[in-house]
Amino acid sequence: MNEAPAPAPVFENLQGIIEALIFISQDPLTVDRIKSVLEGASAEDIQAAVDGLVAGAESRPGGIRIIQVAGGYVFATRPDHDRWVRRLLQIERKNRLSSASLETLCTVAYNPDITQAEISALRGVDASGTLKTLLEKKLIRIVGRKKAPGNPLVYRTSDKFLQYFGLNSLEELPSEEEIGRILQEDKTSEP
Amino acid sequence: MSAPETTEGYQVRLEIFEGPLDLLLFLIRKKKIDIHDIPIAAITRDYLEYLDRKEQINLDREAEFLFVAALLIYIKSQMLLPREKDLAEEEDPRRTLVNRLLEFQKVKAACSLLREREDDQLRQWKRTFLPPLPGEQDLDFTEVSLFDLAESFFIIMKRRAARDFRVIKGKDVSLEDKMKEIVTAVEAGGGLDFLEYFERQETVEEALVAFFGLLELIKSRTVQAVQDGIFKTIRVQLRRDPRRTHLHE
Repeated sequence: MNEAPAPAPVFENLQGIIEALIFISQDPLTVDRIKSVLEGASAEDIQAAVDGLVAGAESRPGGIRIIQVAGGYVFATRPDHDRWVRRLLQIERKNRLSSASLETLCTVAYNPDITQAEISALRGVDASGTLKTLLEKKLIRIVGRKKAPGNPLVYRTSDKFLQYFGLNSLEELPSEEEIGRILQEDKTSEP
Repeated sequence: MSAPETTEGYQVRLEIFEGPLDLLLFLIRKKKIDIHDIPIAAITRDYLEYLDRKEQINLDREAEFLFVAALLIYIKSQMLLPREKDLAEEEDPRRTLVNRLLEFQKVKAACSLLREREDDQLRQWKRTFLPPLPGEQDLDFTEVSLFDLAESFFIIMKRRAARDFRVIKGKDVSLEDKMKEIVTAVEAGGGLDFLEYFERQETVEEALVAFFGLLELIKSRTVQAVQDGIFKTIRVQLRRDPRRTHLHE
């Protein structure tokens, strides 16, 4: 196949093409995925074009930007326009996760491959109900069973979890230091 | 599941704790006590007072609260016992509780950071009603019929029966759980190998439930069973349908 390499297609306006692809994609579009569509374009060129797009959308006064979540790029409205969008969609307030759900989710995020019993032990409360809701919301997923008595199911957070919190990977979760800082603030802010 | 928002206006539900550790942490903070040095008697008194104030105790939900109350009393009793020698640092009965509290406190702190991110993200609207992109290796599949499925299923079951194995029956499988498991597996792997999946089932009963679950999912048009040619393996994949459910509805 490599004997007579076809001339790599020239992409005039690579940025424009990529913007169109992101525009038409509902889930965050990764550079890899773009690369598989644009055969012949290098990952560096694509990354550079994407960076240009992100910066361009950021600097123009328009209401839409391109943000990076879950390792890909997606169109999103500016946070300042939230109330107007909600008014159009007639949504009073978006449903946030309940504290119990958030706590369970957090526990799973920091301890991948955790079982229900382990989560319950950490939180001191039975977690079966919240796990069920989180599964339904697809924020966590079952990745298998643990080789232990009863073969309990083992959970992990999903890509949707990353999207939901605007993270690119689990490495972007609040770090030990950030958590320490919060705990410190709590102590000092108490009267 | 979702509690009414209480950030604005007056607070309706004041002291609702997500769990016994939550309550304990609250009491410790209220008394401005160092978490490493909890006066067990005082905290236990407050703790029991809180439980007393609840007019009804729902045993299922509050069992954990009672458990922690019992734990506190146990710790106090251990500390009251006369001993010949003072306890070494590691033997302090409060230690495990303190460790759990510290761990829990970390989770709470991480939660508060994630909550900020959540609020941040919720104000940035994304489009949720575009037609989803086709999978990267979507080929021309033919959807298989019920008979193809049933035939393959019986072949697998026969093959298993011939293998002479013993099963210790231990758990009940519900159709609903099985359906969820299938959907999760299909979503995670971008598809599911029919043969392989049923080979994996531990008991005939579980396999049967899984099979019914699969039929149900096909009927509800959540998934489809496809084959890219005769004699090829049957794959189960999500049905591409623009009307999918979303997180925020």
